[in-house]
Amino acid sequence: MITLEQKKFEEIEKMTKGYSRLLVLGCETCSAMSFAGGQRQVEELASAIRMAQKTSGQEGEVLEDAIARQCEPEFVDLIRDKLAGCDAVLSLACGAGVQLLSERFPDKVILPGCNTTFLGVTEELGVWSERCAGCGNCILDKTAGLCPIARCSKQLLNGPCGGSMNGKCEISKDVDCVWQLIIDRLARLNRLEMLEEIFPVKDWSPAGHGGPRKMVREDLKS
Amino acid sequence: MAHPPCKLACPILTDVREYVQLIAERRFDEAFATIRRQNPLPRVCGRICTHPCETACKRGQIEEPIAIAALKRFASDGPWKNQYKPVLPDKPSGHKVAVIGSGPAGLAAAHDLALLGHHVTIFEALPVLGGMLRVGVPEYRLPKNVLDEEIQAIVDLGIEIKTGVRIGAQIKLSDLFEQGYKAVFVAIGAHKDRKLGIAGEDQFEGVISAVSFLRAVNQGQNPKETKKAAVIGGGNTAIDSARCLLRMGAESVHIVYRRSRDEMPAAQEEIEEAIHEGVQIAYLTSPLKILGEDGKVSALKCIKNELGEPDASGRRSPKPVPGTEFTLDVDMVIAAIGQAPDSSLVADELGLTERRERIIVEGPYTLVTTRPGVFAGGDAVTGPATVVEAISAGKRAALSIDHYLKGESIPAIEPAKDVEKVSLARSVVEKTRKFPRCKKISLPADQRLRGFKEVESVFSEDLATKEALRCLHCYLGARIDAEKCVSCLTCVRVCPLGIPTTSKMGEITIDPFACQACGVCALECPVRAIDISLDPRTEIAQDIKKAMSTSQHSGPVIVGFFDLHGNFDSSDVENLRQDYPHVLPVMVFGLRRIDTSDILKAFECGADGVLLARCPPESDPFPEATDRVKRRMAHARALVEALGLDGGRLEICDMPEQGLVQKELIDGLIQRIKEPGQVRSE
Repeated sequence: MITLEQKKFEEIEKMTKGYSRLLVLGCETCSAMSFAGGQRQVEELASAIRMAQKTSGQEGEVLEDAIARQCEPEFVDLIRDKLAGCDAVLSLACGAGVQLLSERFPDKVILPGCNTTFLGVTEELGVWSERCAGCGNCILDKTAGLCPIARCSKQLLNGPCGGSMNGKCEISKDVDCVWQLIIDRLARLNRLEMLEEIFPVKDWSPAGHGGPRKMVREDLKS
Repeated sequence: MAHPPCKLACPILTDVREYVQLIAERRFDEAFATIRRQNPLPRVCGRICTHPCETACKRGQIEEPIAIAALKRFASDGPWKNQYKPVLPDKPSGHKVAVIGSGPAGLAAAHDLALLGHHVTIFEALPVLGGMLRVGVPEYRLPKNVLDEEIQAIVDLGIEIKTGVRIGAQIKLSDLFEQGYKAVFVAIGAHKDRKLGIAGEDQFEGVISAVSFLRAVNQGQNPKETKKAAVIGGGNTAIDSARCLLRMGAESVHIVYRRSRDEMPAAQEEIEEAIHEGVQIAYLTSPLKILGEDGKVSALKCIKNELGEPDASGRRSPKPVPGTEFTLDVDMVIAAIGQAPDSSLVADELGLTERRERIIVEGPYTLVTTRPGVFAGGDAVTGPATVVEAISAGKRAALSIDHYLKGESIPAIEPAKDVEKVSLARSVVEKTRKFPRCKKISLPADQRLRGFKEVESVFSEDLATKEALRCLHCYLGARIDAEKCVSCLTCVRVCPLGIPTTSKMGEITIDPFACQACGVCALECPVRAIDISLDPRTEIAQDIKKAMSTSQHSGPVIVGFFDLHGNFDSSDVENLRQDYPHVLPVMVFGLRRIDTSDILKAFECGADGVLLARCPPESDPFPEATDRVKRRMAHARALVEALGLDGGRLEICDMPEQGLVQKELIDGLIQRIKEPGQVRSE
């Protein structure tokens, strides 16, 4: 899933100041699962904004709504009527959702209530960690199923580096050295010989370094 | 929604869960109204009901069932009972209905018929009302004044009473129709004794049937002075007779029962009480012959049995063991081997064959007899059964008669009950916190035998609320809205009992029977796809608004969320209202239910402060969720502070061991509201 975290309230308060009719719009998939922008956070945040407005003597209305995914035009279009009477939307979606709202509603102010963090997994309730960098060219078959692009601080393809100490990365004792993990796992799988294959220089163009990415499936598109 | 097992087990489908919950909420008058609406004899049932609800109770799978009958008695004995007024219809129907017999079946029918607008006359053969409740159940189990008050409340609905009238003898059924009665309910009970059928039974003075004995005792007579008595039989009537004998001065009382204790039909607790009081029970023993001297009983000759193959009733049948004969020296023998209805007086008119003792009805729901307009129910139809079964028959008869009088067809099939006996998974049983059942309070045995004083006392308010809070809220727990659910698995991860499960495709299932409505999943669900029926989220929001709307004073307004599991009583709530009128209480089944947004909502509605009072850890059914509650409150406080408010306006505290909240905590909160910026004590 894409993980998100809600921005600090101070930042949200500042960016939402001055709008007389604000819609706080939740996104009920990744953002909800990150506890950043589901219906529950919409209720909490809208209540907080209302109180902040009241305290600062601002007259305004704060509306609440949520849709399944703000990254799908059909869902986004379902709030068109509700949005008509608003002068701004505080979107609790990832950056993709915020931008689709901007595209669909060119005359409205769309504000981001969350920071998009990474593609990751849930370790346990309330704990997420990064696993994928979306580089566009998966090499997990060669690295024992553990990604050095997403999890090595230097994104080394032929690691580890000299900063690997007792299985930890030199940047922090709380960060595992993924190359240590790769070697341990290859040893367990009895595949250590795979380390003898040297990765050539990586082509980063599928990772976005060749400009914004777009994907077209001719068999599906209308 | 499915019915909880306690309700399904009750012949009159009493809303047990509802009134137990109201007791837990200290809303005793509403608890009584809930009981009384369905049952015209709640104080009787609170004392002598065989409480099948307790047998079915889910708590019974954890340690012991909720003491439902004792709670019913608590709710029905309290002074608030007098506030209940049944509502009679504005316009009488104009129909006259005769009820024959004033036992629980007749009384229940009369009550319900009166509420349906019919004019009811009760005909009773005895000089007193109540049937077996009056002449069968001893005073120490059901005080006569309690029965009097219950009956009076029913009679006060405008019911006409004719005692000393034996229908079938002085007045025939057909005469009643000639007198203008449009329907008749025959509820004559089962007052005919069964004979022992052994030698000496009719020969000596001192052999008496249990029904006659109890009838005399209950009317204040002593049929015979006795020193040593034997009671033959193993049912509740045998136990009642034996316990009465002890109270009337008998030095030794033996119950002679042909099977073992496991097969004994009397209620377990009655058997225990009898033994406790000194009744001796000879199990696996049958009487052979009554011996006498000078025309009076002198001894009972018995033989020991062993248990053989199961008989038609499924119980193993006793077989005498040759050579084990012995005699008990007794001067009195009570035969308590069962009663039967005496339908002889109405047999002809109802087309019964003479040998039949029970009145035949078309079905157990319609209670229609062979004669148009005549209905029958209770022990007269079923043979000796329980008081609640008789009440049930009376209520069904009232409905059937009402249909009949309106010229409607009588529904023949009992509405389907979704009977399900569900057992809890072992993991749920193990994870559920145990709370021992509150013990009933009984008179010491030596004080009991000096008279017929009621043995059991009513629960105190303290005990009653504590017991009611043991309820596990069957089917009031989490309900998942599949349309909203995004399969985030939060419920699966937070449930303290491990009840939610997921399929491979993320379809979440929450067993509504096993769920105990702790509320954690409903709260943590990020998309609000889960709500619980106990304290639903919308209700909490409404409660906050309602509390705020009652505020009419100038001081700082504080919304106080109080956990109902605290050790407080209704007077503590009243004192809080008086001492701190600006503290507006919102009562909840655990602070687990209160979200940050609820706290903000309170501030948004104009509260100056919010107080959250956790129950003491020893009364918390889900102590493992305490840390979660604390962390949520820390999050809420951070948000309140981010809003520029003093975080000290939010106070989370533990309730004291006794009472609702410490005054100093409220005073401190008020102080911080008045002078923001002060350092909090916690």
